Amino acid sequence: MNWFQSKDDNKLGFDPKQVEDVSTFLSNPQVMESAKLHPLAGLDKGIEYLDLEDEQLNSVEGAQGLIPSRNWSDDLCYGTGAVYLLGLGVGGAYGLQEGLSNLPPNSSGRLKLNTVLNHITKRGPFLGNSAGVLALTYNLIDSSIDAFRGKHDDVNSVVSGALAGALFRSSKGLRPMAYSTALMAGAASAWCGIKRLLQ
Amino acid sequence: MSADHTRDPCPIVILNDFGGAFSMGVIGGCVWHGIKGFRNSPYGERGYGTISAIKSRAPVVGGNFGVWGGLFSTFDCSVKAIRRREDAWNAVIAGFFTGGALAIRGGWRHTRNSAITCACLLGVFEGVGMLVQRFTAQAPIAPAYPEDVKPLSA
Repeated sequence: MNWFQSKDDNKLGFDPKQVEDVSTFLSNPQVMESAKLHPLAGLDKGIEYLDLEDEQLNSVEGAQGLIPSRNWSDDLCYGTGAVYLLGLGVGGAYGLQEGLSNLPPNSSGRLKLNTVLNHITKRGPFLGNSAGVLALTYNLIDSSIDAFRGKHDDVNSVVSGALAGALFRSSKGLRPMAYSTALMAGAASAWCGIKRLLQ
Repeated sequence: MSADHTRDPCPIVILNDFGGAFSMGVIGGCVWHGIKGFRNSPYGERGYGTISAIKSRAPVVGGNFGVWGGLFSTFDCSVKAIRRREDAWNAVIAGFFTGGALAIRGGWRHTRNSAITCACLLGVFEGVGMLVQRFTAQAPIAPAYPEDVKPLSA
């Protein structure tokens, strides 16, 4: 049980020494403000049952990102999902443009539709898959470094980006590997900058 | 009934499902195609065969899983929003639409068959889940009442 361990470092959201008996609690109700007790429970939306064990936010220092994350698997799923969807969308848009500019002349509407769809499904999944694999590797390495160092900062991000990029092109030779390492380290630092701006 | 706290709220959970299904597909595809590439390569080329099979196939498996999971989650959320309730039928309806959407380029018959197959599959999943839940749940214990208490006679 986390309750007993966390009493001293005040993770409960209130100070247990302030609410020793009913009269102190009644005379000073702000001590146990519901929103402070648990951030994810949505206590302002009405009565809910609390499940404090399952819903602890990520406790690694500096790990609070744009959306609340509970642990490394949340980071992995959201990060990979967002990047994959982005790659799919960008690749699909590129394929749409390519398909529209390569329409076979004086053909039926069905053939035109098929051409465009073929171009979309050729470009979109390719870019999405590559971006998704990169994001997956990046998040796995990042979470490992976080757990190893006990904190999450920009250095971790850039290093894991570089490692992911190196691994991605590692079978193509040294020069492509260096390119993709630099590119991914750059992308990771850009992401860190964007996160700073948005927070 | 309290809300299900093991999954995130609806629009954002689509992203989670995309990522989760994609990761599952990539990791499973690495194992599957790694073994397949190893077994199908001649002696001396087995390491290379493994790596190249993983490189060319695992992302595709991941992509297929990811698209399936993401579409399913999207339809699941839409069905929840329209029906305003949470039960096993949501998954079946979402599976119907997912199977249909993924097969829509194969023509009307293919779309219909795929949608029905997918809905049946999801129905089986939900049914098995319910059975497991019922058998693992603790049997209700009747409260112990005292024996017939005779009213005090004055």
